[in-house]
Amino acid sequence: MSKPDLKFTDSQFIHGLRTGDNAILRALYKKYYYIVLKLVVNNSGSSEAAQDIYQETVIVLYENVQKPDFTLNCQLQTYIYSVAKRLWLKQLKKNGNTFLIKEDSEDEIADVTEDVSLHEQKELDFIKVKQSLENLGEPCATLIRDFYVQRLSMDEIAEKFGYTNSDNAKNQKYKCLQRLKKYFFEKTTVELRETERNEKH
Amino acid sequence: MRNTELFDKYLNEGLNADEKLAFESRLNADELFAAAFNEHKTLINALNEHEKSQQFKAKLKQIHHNEFGKDAKVISINKEETFSKRYGRVVMVAASTALIAVLSTVAILGTGGYLLKKQSNQITELGLKLKASNEAIVEGISRGSQKTVYAPANMEGSAFALNNKGYIITSFHIINSADSVFVENGVMQRTLAKVVITDPKLDLAILKIDNIDLIKNWQVPFSFAARGTDVGEKVFTLGYPRKDMVYGEGSLSSLSGYNNDTSMYQISIPVNPGNSGSPLLDENGNVIGVIRGKITSAEATGFAVKSAEIIKSLQTLSSDSIQPSKMAKRPVLKGLKRTEQIKRINPYVFNILVYKKD
Repeated sequence: MSKPDLKFTDSQFIHGLRTGDNAILRALYKKYYYIVLKLVVNNSGSSEAAQDIYQETVIVLYENVQKPDFTLNCQLQTYIYSVAKRLWLKQLKKNGNTFLIKEDSEDEIADVTEDVSLHEQKELDFIKVKQSLENLGEPCATLIRDFYVQRLSMDEIAEKFGYTNSDNAKNQKYKCLQRLKKYFFEKTTVELRETERNEKH
Repeated sequence: MRNTELFDKYLNEGLNADEKLAFESRLNADELFAAAFNEHKTLINALNEHEKSQQFKAKLKQIHHNEFGKDAKVISINKEETFSKRYGRVVMVAASTALIAVLSTVAILGTGGYLLKKQSNQITELGLKLKASNEAIVEGISRGSQKTVYAPANMEGSAFALNNKGYIITSFHIINSADSVFVENGVMQRTLAKVVITDPKLDLAILKIDNIDLIKNWQVPFSFAARGTDVGEKVFTLGYPRKDMVYGEGSLSSLSGYNNDTSMYQISIPVNPGNSGSPLLDENGNVIGVIRGKITSAEATGFAVKSAEIIKSLQTLSSDSIQPSKMAKRPVLKGLKRTEQIKRINPYVFNILVYKKD
C-alpha cells in the first residue's frame, strides 16, 4: 500500500471530512490513532477498547464538522485527544471504574462537551431508527429503505417485490410507513428505561 | 394524493412552482398538516442519517483493518511498565468488564431489538433447538430403505395454514436468520417454504409453500377469530414438540400475556419446546392465537399471540393475497367431536424445520 501523505493541514482534514474524501479520512485515521491508543491502553483499557473509542472519536468529529457553523478552536490533535478522553472516562465510569486518567502534562484539553453530547443524541436517534426498522419486519423494512434511502422508484420497487403495478407498491409503502411512524414515535423513553432495568436481571 | 406522497414529492423537489407555493401556504395555514409534515421529515431524515452513519462506521472499520489490522504487536508498545506492575490486577479486571460491557451492548442492539431480547430472557421461546444427532438417520432407516435421509435441522417448531393459497404462519424466532425452511406432516411430504413476511414485534412470520401440487386441494377448516375470547374458555392446541403431533388442552387464563402485554393471551396448557408456532383454537375450532412461548419458572403457563392482533398486523404488512381465511358463517368444525376436529385440522398443522448457515 502506498504511504499516504500525512502532511495535511487541520483545515484540509476538516474540509476532506466534510466532502467525504476517502484518502483524507484514511490519512487522518492513521495520523491520530496512536494518540488515542496510548490514552486508552495507559489507562486500563485494551487495544480493542482503544479501537472502539478511537472510531467513536472520529465519528464525533465527523458529525460535528457537518454543522455549517463548525469551527475548530484548537489543534485537531487536541480536539481528538479531548474527545477520546471524555469518551473513555465515560466508559470507565460506566464500568464502575473510578480511575482518574493520568495526564501527560503536555496534553492540552479543549472543551468538547457540546460536541460529544450532539453525538450522544445522534446515537440515541440511531438506536431508535434501528429498533423501529427491526420491529417493522419484512418486506416492510427493505421496502422503506429501498424507497427512502436507496431512492428506488415505485416501478422498480413493484418489480423487485413482485407487486402487479406501482400503485400496489405505493399502497404497500404507505402501510409500511404508517407502521414505521408508529414504532418510531411511540413512548421510546419508557421502553429505554425498562431495558436498563431488565439488563440487571 | 395521500399526504405522505405529497410530503415525499415536496422533499424530493418533485412539485412544480405552483404546487410548491400551494404546499407552503398550506403549511403556514394548517397546523395539523404542518405537524404531520414535520413528523414525516424527521423520520425520513433519521432514516438517511442512520444509513449514512452506518456507512461511515463501516468505512472506519475497514480503514482500521487495512492500516492496523495485522499489526498485533501495537497493543503493548505504549503500555508503561510501572503502571501495569502497580495496577496489573485491577487493569485486568477493568479490561474484562469493559469487554463484557461492549459484548452485551452488541447483543442487545444486534439481535433484533431489545423488546424481542427482553422477552426472550424471561419467556422461554419454544423453538426446539436440536443438537446434531442421529435421530434423522435412524428414522430414515426404520421407515424403510426407500426413505430419504435428511440432515438434522438446526431448529424445529410448529406452523399451520393461514389460508387455502399455501400460506402458513409460524413464530418469527423459529425462522429468524434461517438459511432454508422446510415443512412436513403426516400427510404432506417435506417441502420448501419461503419466508414472505415477518413481524418481529409480534413474533410472527408468514411463509409460502411454493409447490402448487401440494396445496391445490387445500380446504383449511379453521379461520381466524377477529374478536377476542373470554377468560375461562376451553382452548386446545396441536403442535410438533416431537416428530409426532401432540395435542394439548386447557383454558384461557388471562387476556394479557407476559408483562401485561395485551397482544397475548395466557393459557393453561403445558407447552413444550417445539410448540412455538402452533395454533391455539377455541371449542368451535376457530384459531384464536399462535403459541409463542411460556414462563420458565411456572409449569403449564403458555402465551399465545391473539388472532385479532395477527389480522391487524397482516392488514398493514401485506398485500391482499396474504390474509387469513375469513370466518365462515357456520364454522366447519363447530359441533364436531374433538377427535373429529383434530382429524380435520391435522393436515394443516406442520412440523417446521429450519436450517441455518453456521
